[in-house]
Amino acid sequence: MDFVLTQLSGFGGAFYALVADPLTYAYLITSVFLGITFGALPGLTATLAVTILTGFFGNKIPLDYSLIALLGAYVGAIYGGSYPSILLNIPGTAASAATAMDGYPLAKEGRGGEALGLTTTASFIGTLIGTIALLVFVWVLLLLSKNIASPEKALLALFGILLSGTLMSEDLVVKGWIAGLIGLAMAMVGLDPLLSEPRYTFGWSYMLSGFQVVPVLMGAFAVPQIIEGMRHMEIGKMAQVKGRILPNFKSVKRYLPTITRSGVIGTGVGALPGVGEDVAGWVSYGVGKTVSKEGDQFGKGSLEGLLSSETANNACIGGALIPLLVLGIPGSPPAAALMGAFKINNIIPGPTIDPEIILRVVAIMLLASFTMFIMGLFTARVFMKILRIPQVVFLPIVMVLTTIGSFSVGGGINDLYLMLGVGFVAYFMNLLKFPIAPLVIGVILGGLFDETFRRSMLISGGDIFVFASRPVASVLLLLNIALIMSQIPFIKRAFGRLRGKAI
Amino acid sequence: MQTKTTPEELAVLRARDFWGALVLMAVSAFFLWRTFDIPLWGGNRAGVASASWYNSAAIVPLSIFTCLLILSVVLLVIAIKAGGAKRSLSGIGIGWNSAETLRFTTIGIILFFYVAGLVPRVDFVACSGLLITALIFGFYKGHAQRMLLAAFVVALAGIYAMIAHLPQAEWGAHDDDGVTLVLWAVLTVFVMINAKGDRVLRIVPVLAVAAPLILVCAMAFGFRQNVPNRGGIIFSQIEYHYYVTLRPLWRS
Repeated sequence: MDFVLTQLSGFGGAFYALVADPLTYAYLITSVFLGITFGALPGLTATLAVTILTGFFGNKIPLDYSLIALLGAYVGAIYGGSYPSILLNIPGTAASAATAMDGYPLAKEGRGGEALGLTTTASFIGTLIGTIALLVFVWVLLLLSKNIASPEKALLALFGILLSGTLMSEDLVVKGWIAGLIGLAMAMVGLDPLLSEPRYTFGWSYMLSGFQVVPVLMGAFAVPQIIEGMRHMEIGKMAQVKGRILPNFKSVKRYLPTITRSGVIGTGVGALPGVGEDVAGWVSYGVGKTVSKEGDQFGKGSLEGLLSSETANNACIGGALIPLLVLGIPGSPPAAALMGAFKINNIIPGPTIDPEIILRVVAIMLLASFTMFIMGLFTARVFMKILRIPQVVFLPIVMVLTTIGSFSVGGGINDLYLMLGVGFVAYFMNLLKFPIAPLVIGVILGGLFDETFRRSMLISGGDIFVFASRPVASVLLLLNIALIMSQIPFIKRAFGRLRGKAI
Repeated sequence: MQTKTTPEELAVLRARDFWGALVLMAVSAFFLWRTFDIPLWGGNRAGVASASWYNSAAIVPLSIFTCLLILSVVLLVIAIKAGGAKRSLSGIGIGWNSAETLRFTTIGIILFFYVAGLVPRVDFVACSGLLITALIFGFYKGHAQRMLLAAFVVALAGIYAMIAHLPQAEWGAHDDDGVTLVLWAVLTVFVMINAKGDRVLRIVPVLAVAAPLILVCAMAFGFRQNVPNRGGIIFSQIEYHYYVTLRPLWRS
């Protein structure tokens, strides 16, 4: 009980400190506005918003303010994606693809205002659910994670990369794993963490410090999007929105079970390493369609369908921060960008993180969700106007932002070469339907995996069974093996036959 | 996260996978070979024995590139089984699209010369202004000729900067700033001639000047961070007047 009270008072203190600081509002309003703008513009994503702001704010202002800027943009961008989904039938971000299924039919029926009002409310409640889960579970996991040693860390990092590769693959799972391995391989460049042995430096002194996270993030997420988005696109006819955009509390009350369920699903999916808001939205939409009484109406303008995806994708944010803060494993691609911001501020997320940072993150999330809610209701028409800006106008400015952001992080011109190289590779990977998120997660977790794997081997004198010597390590090892085995065709077929017999 | 793909799209994808797998195999084989340069079996450096095999700096990269090689072979087998190898030698088979190739190539040229040629050597405001003008004008309506012109102008500025001042010691020279500014001005005039009532094209000069100017000033004077090419023809003047003319106003 004392522990809970201490945490609550700590949270209260962090919240008060933020609320009492006038600069908080300046960063919060600007970042949430920028986030919603990025989300609303088709072709610009939440990951891009957080990545670019990481380059711009990451290490240039005190950590508190940079966290406000990044989390505000993250919350805003996930919500902002709903605007083009509802009004243009074009998802602003992958996270709001499921929103378009019911949002656009509603807008065509002349209920666009109602849809936007409900989406705003659902996103707000979803973010709150994710934030509450973050506050509760982060402490539980943080207590458990004190028992995590090198073997568990190595297996967790591997599990994160494998799971992200498995779930983020649009085409073959093997492509997700290859992307993860490429990321891991990129993390091997430079001096190795235990013996300072140079690896793959090709005599170039810049490479001795390895690939920096921010240029890799910029290259992997921003450059392919700029190349892909620089094309002529006719903006479709926008659905008309009449009247004011207000939350319909009657509908919210009616669909509260749906909102709660979607919030829990979103948080759960977000907590899986490397699995982002898009998966959360679709999983929640699929579950909603299966369990809802009006499931047959999904895709035809169902309010329940709209709420299922929108609540989940915003709840996913809090969920994605749980593994990031507790284990140092990003729960989603934007969380990977956040990890980059932590890294350039010399903060290592994981069991050794300063608990005050977690309390501040929760307080910021709470404030960001309020700001998003208020902005969503009162400035929606501004964002509707922004929807009209062709992305060809916006993306060249994003390129300039990316360049100056990447340059100023520390590595200078060499970081720009790295960014461009990674960007071209990532573009071709996109073309071949290789997911990019596992690559980035591989780059971020590669160093951790290398160090903890070899440290485990060193402690055990080369005994590979060290990875099964402790209960948590055994469970993680089994999970890794099960994940790999579940994708092998003849095992899949055997399970299919067994399932068939059981039915 | 499965999405629906038509059979034709899938066939094209498998043909591309065939080439992708071959490239991956070559890359992983190359890096496997390079990995053997790292002592694996307890090397001896300056008379000091280094770590055992299980603690060697090579053990993790060796595993990674071996797995990468195996998975590339798996991808190759999948691609061949799906008929990717048969389709891989024809343009239609790999889904060759000349319009898309032109679009990518011109963007690639613009980005390459901007990052590798202009940013290190030319004033940031000038080269970013040229980039914004070229990208918006070249790709706004999707005209092939405009794409080519945009790429040509940026490449010309980039090639001049690279040829005239390749070594880092010469990056402070200003003649390439002048060439870039002239090319930017000529392109802007051409854009305005072609703007004829097009609201987007008419705001290009404003965006091209304002965006890099605000960004570079915010970064240099707001966040006090390093910015590319501080000695550039425009930025050096801004910096001089900021510290000599403006700053004393509020410092005193």
